[in-house]
Amino acid sequence: MDRRDFIKTCGAIAVASFLDTKFFSEALASQEGFLKLYSKAILLKEDGTPLTEKDIAPHREYIFFYPFASTPCYLINLGDEVKGAQLKLNDGQTYLWKGGVGSKKSIVAYSAICSHQWSYPTKDYAFINYYPPDKPSETTKKAGVIQCCAHLTVFDPKAGGKVIEGPAEVPLASILLEEEGGKLYAVGVLGKDQFDAFFENYKTDLRKEYGSTAKAKELVDKCVVMEVGKYVKEIIRC
Amino acid sequence: MSRKSSGVSRRDLIKSAVGVSIFPTLAFTKGEAKRENAQVVIVGGGYGGVTTAKYLKKENPKLSVILIEQRHFFMSCPLSNHFLAGLMELTPLCFAYNVLEVKYGVKVINDKVIGIELDRKVVRTSQGYISYDFLVLSPGIDYDIEDKPFYAEALVYYPPAFKPGSEHIYLKKLLSEFEGGDIVITVPPPPYRCPPAPYERAALIASMIKRNKLKAHLYFIDANERPLINSEGFLSAYYDLYKDVATYVTSAQVKDVDVGKKVVKTSYGDFKFDIANIIPPMKAHSILESAGLLKKGEKWVSVNPLTFETQVENVFVIGDASMSYLPKSGYAAHSEGKVVAKLINAKLMGKEVKEELLQMVCYAMVDDREAIMTETSFKYEKDRGRFIPIHREDNQRKESTAKRYIEWAKGLWRDMFG
Ligand SMILES: Cc1cc2nc3c(=O)[nH]c(=O)nc-3n(C[C@H](O)[C@H](O)[C@H](O)COP(=O)(O)OP(=O)(O)OC[C@H]3O[C@@H](n4cnc5c(N)ncnc54)[C@H](O)[C@@H]3O)c2cc1C
Ligand code: FES
Repeated sequence: MDRRDFIKTCGAIAVASFLDTKFFSEALASQEGFLKLYSKAILLKEDGTPLTEKDIAPHREYIFFYPFASTPCYLINLGDEVKGAQLKLNDGQTYLWKGGVGSKKSIVAYSAICSHQWSYPTKDYAFINYYPPDKPSETTKKAGVIQCCAHLTVFDPKAGGKVIEGPAEVPLASILLEEEGGKLYAVGVLGKDQFDAFFENYKTDLRKEYGSTAKAKELVDKCVVMEVGKYVKEIIRC
Repeated sequence: MSRKSSGVSRRDLIKSAVGVSIFPTLAFTKGEAKRENAQVVIVGGGYGGVTTAKYLKKENPKLSVILIEQRHFFMSCPLSNHFLAGLMELTPLCFAYNVLEVKYGVKVINDKVIGIELDRKVVRTSQGYISYDFLVLSPGIDYDIEDKPFYAEALVYYPPAFKPGSEHIYLKKLLSEFEGGDIVITVPPPPYRCPPAPYERAALIASMIKRNKLKAHLYFIDANERPLINSEGFLSAYYDLYKDVATYVTSAQVKDVDVGKKVVKTSYGDFKFDIANIIPPMKAHSILESAGLLKKGEKWVSVNPLTFETQVENVFVIGDASMSYLPKSGYAAHSEGKVVAKLINAKLMGKEVKEELLQMVCYAMVDDREAIMTETSFKYEKDRGRFIPIHREDNQRKESTAKRYIEWAKGLWRDMFG
């Protein structure tokens, strides 16, 4: 059993209680290989207190790091209910995405590592971003999407991170969120995550930023959530 | 820059763009017998070859994949104009091939292919013969200069820098030592490698003249009526930014280059120069001609545009050497490499592959800090065998586009060598 399998098993037991049981049983039955449960991590505000639904303004782009200390994710309140969806990979395999969480089921989270060639928001630049309904992309004219400006892949945050257009071959991995007593938790990653490629390609950058690869790969149990514009010096839109 | 170009509109250019109908039917993989082992030989470790090699092994580690490349290190032509203009060092553009061997198990042979015998299914190198079951050829371009011998002399003194490697280093040396006077850049008619590259180079050299406050003038001599891509963006940069340091001469054919007298003779008159960058017409690499893949009079290899397979079964030509619906760009060669890797693996598994149309993204610098870009998707009219390009151009020069350009290239390199 490798470390990740071990984490998965422990995680599965730890989070089983606050997952919708129907989804969970469906998930385990059909998501083999797609759902990875990591340690349950509470989402926090910058002041260290728990993040609640009302702290997540609709259509703003928030960043947090999960499941590892260095892997960025975007948190977005899409305003309206986001229903679950079935996602298809290019080899024909499918998996289920549960939809939004929160009272309106409008809150979603995705790994911010582009599934194409792994562009991700650094402290300097974010080439991959959310385009709210009132600020469509200048290039593709699409709004309400996550778009990566490096090679122009457009992802649908309302449909589990599905590729709408562009060169990426697989959806963005989604972050499994749960709400418990008004607090939000990240509990796992669904889809084809890009973590191996991320750690392989950015070794030098991650060492510089986190001190060592091991530190960059540390699993988190709490995530500070902040607006992307606060974390990144320059948001590159296109 | 002066001299107005013709009144061809962007829409006209788009309309007249691509109408390729080479192969009447699309031969797709139709459940062939499963095979356990196969040897794939790839010629050329550029954008096309490296991608094919890596993806073949990534999808099927058991496959025997041999990449034959004459150079010791990969050097990217994309972003090489940054290097020439002093905006970037050479080192970020270079990668070691042994990464492919160490990480993915590709066998890299550092040698020159000197013959391809399609009937015997072997490739000849200086060290001997290598046999293949599948052959992927991505050797890039040669300069098409046989009928114009003056080009042969010119490129020894004033390298085109359109093939990766020492040509760039020598041109950079000429530019670094240039303290003033006249520079001439010539652009051939299409098709040639990377349609926007000469226009970007002209803009960056004009910008370098301004930045270094040189007493110099650039004569940019174009065989075409206007820039082949992003013409609005390039023309506005030439006229807005470089009017005083550069002259854009359009529809001018190069008739002769006298390197002794330092004169380029064109259909529009003679241009004296102190240094020059003579970019000759181009054609597919000569190894493809000697292999018999080019018919008499053809400059580029005809392939099935959706599979990149030639008329010889299991022999593929990708990248700049082939004639497909895609432009001659690194991005295209890279995408084609992935398609071919998928196809070969599918053939071996006895699986079918769905046809896919590729998309293009292309950036170009117009000054030290700003870039413009184009995105092209394609529609395929199956009944007429036609590919219709749909361009989305962003001709507003922006710093953010220049940053995207770098990220674009880094993404490709991550995908190839990461
Ligand atoms: C200045 C410039 C800027 C460019 N900018 C861009 C850009 O911004 N974006 C973009 O998409 N494209 C750009 N390109 C185009 C891009 O470089 C080419 O389209 C791309 O390299 C084509 O890939 P390829 O695999 O066909 O050929 P190459 O990348 O040239 O690879 C061919 C390889 O084959 C090897 N080879 C040839 N013959 C033999 C032999 N007989 N034996 C062994 N090895 C052999 C060569 O050494 C070479 O490494 C630019 C090109 C230039 C010149
Ligand atoms: S890295 Fe995001 S589209 Fe290529």
